[in-house]
Amino acid sequence: MKTATKHPALARVSSGILSRPNSPDLAAAAAAPELQSLGPVGVKEQPLTMSSSRFWTQGDSDSEEEEEELESEQGSDSDDNGGHDDGKRSKVQNRYLRTEDDDSDESDSGHRVVRSLRDKRNEEMKSIVDQMRNAMKINDWVSLQESFEKLNKHLEKVARVNESTEVPRMYIKALVLLEDFLAEALANKRKMSSSNSKAFNAMRQKLKKNNKQYEDQIQKCREHPESFEEDNADGKDADEDEEEDEDSDAEIEDPEKIAADSDEGEESGEDEPWVKKLTKKDKLMDKQLLKDPSEITWDIVDKKLKEIVASRGKKGTGRIERVEQLTFLTRVAKTPAQKLEILFHVISAQFDVNPSLLGHMPVNVWKKCVDNMLLVLDILQQYPNIVVDTTVEPDEKETQKGADYNGTIHVTGDLVAFLERLDSEFFKTLQCTDPYTKDYVLRLRDEPLFLVVAQNVQDYLERIGNLKAAAKVALRRVELVYYKPQEVYDAMRKLAEQTEDSGEDGDAEAGDEHQAVDDNRGPPPFVVIPEVVPRKPTFPDSGRVMMDGLMSLIYKYGDERTKARAMLCDIYHHAISDEFAVARDLLLMSHLQDGVQLMDISSQILFNRVMAQLGLCAFKAGLITEAHGCLTELYSTGRVKELLAQGVQQSRYHEKTPEQERLERRRQMPYHMHINLELLEATHLICAMLIEVPNMAASTYDKRRPMSKTFRRLLEVSERQTFVGPPENVRDHVMAATRALNKGDHQKAFSVISSLEIWKLLRNKEHVLEMLKLRIKEEALRTYLFSYSSCYESLSLGQLTTMFDLSESHVHGVVSKMMIQEELHASWDQPTSCIVFHSVDQTRLQGLLFQMADKLSVLVESNERAYEAKTGGTLEGVPPRRRGDGQDSSNFGKWQENFVSSQGRQGGNRSGYSGGRGGGSGQGGGYQRNDRGSQGSRGGYGGSRFQDGRGRNQSGSSSRGGDGIARMVSLNRAVRV
Amino acid sequence: MAEYDLTALMAAQLDRHLVFPLLEFLQEQQLYPDGEILEAKIRLLNGTNMVDYAMDIHKSLHGTEDVPADMVARRSEVLARLKSLDAAAAPIVAFLQNPQLVQELRPDKQYNIHMLQERFQIGPDQIEALYQYAKFQFECGNYSGAADYLYQYRALCTNSERSVSALWGKLAAEILMQNWDVALEELNRLKEIIDSKNFSSPLNQLQNRIWLMHWALFIFFNHENGRNGIIDLFFQDRYLNAIQTNAPHLLRYLATAVVVNKRRRNMLKELIKVIQQEQHSYKDPITEFLECLYVNYDFDGAQQKLLQCEQVILNDPFLGKRIQEGNFITVPLRDEFLENARLFIFETYCRIHRCIDISMLAGKLNMNYDETESWIMNLVKSSKLDARIDSVSGTLIMTTTPVNVHEQIIENLKGLNMRTDMLAKNIVEPAQAAQQAAR
Repeated sequence: MKTATKHPALARVSSGILSRPNSPDLAAAAAAPELQSLGPVGVKEQPLTMSSSRFWTQGDSDSEEEEEELESEQGSDSDDNGGHDDGKRSKVQNRYLRTEDDDSDESDSGHRVVRSLRDKRNEEMKSIVDQMRNAMKINDWVSLQESFEKLNKHLEKVARVNESTEVPRMYIKALVLLEDFLAEALANKRKMSSSNSKAFNAMRQKLKKNNKQYEDQIQKCREHPESFEEDNADGKDADEDEEEDEDSDAEIEDPEKIAADSDEGEESGEDEPWVKKLTKKDKLMDKQLLKDPSEITWDIVDKKLKEIVASRGKKGTGRIERVEQLTFLTRVAKTPAQKLEILFHVISAQFDVNPSLLGHMPVNVWKKCVDNMLLVLDILQQYPNIVVDTTVEPDEKETQKGADYNGTIHVTGDLVAFLERLDSEFFKTLQCTDPYTKDYVLRLRDEPLFLVVAQNVQDYLERIGNLKAAAKVALRRVELVYYKPQEVYDAMRKLAEQTEDSGEDGDAEAGDEHQAVDDNRGPPPFVVIPEVVPRKPTFPDSGRVMMDGLMSLIYKYGDERTKARAMLCDIYHHAISDEFAVARDLLLMSHLQDGVQLMDISSQILFNRVMAQLGLCAFKAGLITEAHGCLTELYSTGRVKELLAQGVQQSRYHEKTPEQERLERRRQMPYHMHINLELLEATHLICAMLIEVPNMAASTYDKRRPMSKTFRRLLEVSERQTFVGPPENVRDHVMAATRALNKGDHQKAFSVISSLEIWKLLRNKEHVLEMLKLRIKEEALRTYLFSYSSCYESLSLGQLTTMFDLSESHVHGVVSKMMIQEELHASWDQPTSCIVFHSVDQTRLQGLLFQMADKLSVLVESNERAYEAKTGGTLEGVPPRRRGDGQDSSNFGKWQENFVSSQGRQGGNRSGYSGGRGGGSGQGGGYQRNDRGSQGSRGGYGGSRFQDGRGRNQSGSSSRGGDGIARMVSLNRAVRV
Repeated sequence: MAEYDLTALMAAQLDRHLVFPLLEFLQEQQLYPDGEILEAKIRLLNGTNMVDYAMDIHKSLHGTEDVPADMVARRSEVLARLKSLDAAAAPIVAFLQNPQLVQELRPDKQYNIHMLQERFQIGPDQIEALYQYAKFQFECGNYSGAADYLYQYRALCTNSERSVSALWGKLAAEILMQNWDVALEELNRLKEIIDSKNFSSPLNQLQNRIWLMHWALFIFFNHENGRNGIIDLFFQDRYLNAIQTNAPHLLRYLATAVVVNKRRRNMLKELIKVIQQEQHSYKDPITEFLECLYVNYDFDGAQQKLLQCEQVILNDPFLGKRIQEGNFITVPLRDEFLENARLFIFETYCRIHRCIDISMLAGKLNMNYDETESWIMNLVKSSKLDARIDSVSGTLIMTTTPVNVHEQIIENLKGLNMRTDMLAKNIVEPAQAAQQAAR
């Protein structure tokens, strides 16, 4: 134990350093054994000393310190004698020299030796120098070069340990030695191997460069070789002496500064460095030392704060420690403003705890952060004259103004930024947690906590009139609520109330405990802030009410992005509340789908989610075409998961870089926000089936454009299968239903569909299934008529009603519609109530001819349009004729006309019914399209009201309603990464 | 039928004075208890200066001769204000009442103002007073005076905002005086201003459009060309959007106008589209009738709706306008509507049938057998219907002539040749001309 007692100051310093877990010194120490292993000395004991020194600081540091105290006095005495007097120096050094020998003796004899870090370092250095000597003897320049480099590296470490800039004499001596040897070698020009000579040359240059730095010392060394000649320990000891001088100086000064603690004057000397080398224990002591509040001034706290803040991001500052230090500071803060300022730093330090983008903040830190936010709000509420902003550069002493100061006090900080960060951390935790664990549920329960903070921040911002920021906060709240159906919302409300009840006791206890602990640990806070801000969220009765309230704020004051997002959330919420019409109107009126490509990716994902939800909503309401319109584009790429950010899809053709994958993972939706993909897929496929099956039956000859290409493709795949097994997944089910429906077997189709599991996810399952049944019957009827009408001369209504289990009026309506839309060439025979079919089916050749005629007229039209665009004028002769035609068809007088002409397919009017005007109205249709195209170029022409009306009709209707729906999923190309 | 009454919705978009005719109509219809309507009238009058009228109503409502003190107080207040305004506007009114002097006004506003200032010491203050005076007159129910003053004011004023509100005032006055032609002119003027003016917010513009459409109803259902007018106005994109956004109840009037107007049958399809879109926010028997007929092809349903339509029309202040001819009171719009609606049903019915029982048809059309038969005969005779009546079995047999496919194809292709020819000529001729010129 001699070493310890002999170098008390040294021991203390090193213990302080070692106690920091992340310090680079420790890392270096850990690395030391490797270096050491090359050397001949101390190989074995190195790990031992390591561990022992660590043990030493942790274990009996108290006793050690006491010893130190005693010794330090002696030490300082001896320093006073020896340190300043050169004459006496050698004597002192001799004393050390001897101890060194003792040490080595002890180590040789295998005793456990406790040595300080500095000793170790110096020993290592010494071993390296020894190595070099050996290398010189055998003229091995390669190993010499290695050793030299090692030595240089080691020099840094030693310098750090010694905490002085003084270069160890041992090192200088080694340099001198090397220089001499080099000169000698140069003079002798002995033969060397190629690698050796190479190393020699390199060495020569390096040494020259290196030695320049130490020229003085080298010179000194050459002049007084005897002072360097002594054993290597001297250098070290000399260093130690100096070191001790400094330390003792500090000890002398510091107690004056903070003399309050008479019993532990020594420790108080560390007031400055305590921040750096704080262990929990040390900190505790510091708190005790600061027990007397009157002693702490604003300046001290401020200085300390700056120090801690400046340490941010530096190597070796533990993030958690920083938080603890700052938290401690909040307790000793002198003014509310200062407390606020420190709290801001605490919060940002808490955000710093997790440095990586992928990981998330630890949950307990998050909760503490929430508490801090509430505390901040308390202060702000309590002292309305404190203003938080980022614009005004606050005065140096701004926070010194006390609670009784009247004017406004500016404190730099951004509550909204904190809140947003808090939210995204919450989001990230949920992203990272496995949704099937209890953790996830527990974490979800923290949501009300966040809502409280958000609500309070919003209230505060509204109070101070910063409504823009309040809108941002409101958006965050909206984003937590919008995906919750009323049931979930109620559950959340109940949870919030419960936690409040049970939390009342729990919190109180915890609070007491907390208080107790705090009391034990340190002084009570100087600035006591009562809890003014409510600690539990208040929820309106229904999610809708809450959404509406927040929405109106956002629409009034939010910026563009906030508004757009809020609008999407609103639409989503309407959609899950089964208000399709409202949601659709909102979406169409906001023109969001026009600009969605330009939005950021997370908004695009939100948009996709909205579309998916809108599709589901339309389906539940029985609006099959609308639902299909909403969903089809999501499914056209086969990347639904990616588009909705609900899991990563592996694509065969498209390798993703890890970068992209990471980005994608960061965008993922937490599990509780997911839209059930199976339900979505089933909805999409069923809609596609209901539309596509009659469509396929209707167009056996002309290949009309398929309404749903995805569905067609799936169908082809399933038809190619040799054996058809019982359906397993959603797709199989729908395919099986499709096969049944194709044959007009509605019962089987429905039973297959209704056997799907997912229906139980729907709120009004019965209702939806009922609707589905009806739709399937209808479409089966239509398919049947399309497929087999050519085989019948007549069909009775009664037969159809029994076949498809529909009411007479229903069948009548469906069939009538088909007749009017000329899908079915037939008419009713009213007295016998049966359908009489007209044999107007064309042959294949005729069908093709019609198609050709259509295409030709399109061609001519595009020619004309091209001509008009080119010349800017109209085609003489043609327009008047056209106009005449148009008016003709409108004035035809024949009352059947008008309706058909607007309903029939453009161009070809194949109806068998009112033949006389088939051509005329067909042409009318064609022109109508033409008019629209050329309307712009033909300014002066629009004399005829009718034509104008037509053109407008078209453009008008395409911007509204059904067409709009089909158009509105024009999104997500940009989402693909 | 009170459930289909739109007065409450309409009143929100109308001027106080314009609501009176609606209340009068309701009073006649006896849809609501008399007391309630009188009460409403008094409340309405409280915002105007027609205190005497309010007093009369009060008396008849409560059957007393006593008048509440506040009404008396208000009366004197109104009179005092009238006097002061009278005095303020006196110089300019005097000027305007002299036709010779008015002759001297020119279309140039700057000149007029200058001239008035120079020769009659009439400055901006007096002109402003004229506006206030006109407004006060309007409030008092003196619409013709108000209209005149406002007309003059518009000629003199330089403030565009004021000018617009003067225009609104003029329109209201003209409507209340039932000068439909003048009102229509004012309406168009106002519409131009609304469409061209830069409003501070789109919402404001939308509100203006909605007001305009509501006010226009008075004109359209009274002016002889109003039925075209309403279709023209309401089907304009911006106005249709406004209807869909904020005033779907106007669809009733639009639908009626389209049904009644034979020449605008082509609008029907668009109308139905709009009705379908808005069915969640507004429906009444008239829109439902069209929906039944053209969306669901449910003829029985349409039939029932038609019966309700009649009631709705009769109880609507705009649609149910009565005209007295001798001893008969007729509601022309109702008759037209029913006639056309019947035709609609029949048309659609015939299109999908080959053979129809006339007695059944008679039931559907709410006519008796003989009437139906003669009605059909007329249609056939005027070659509107391609059918024959089988009198023995009492059926109507539609003659269907399936089109010859060849003819159809030739018909389709016929135009193309000529058009392409024309195109080629148009391209070649200038080129040749250019060549010749080059030579």
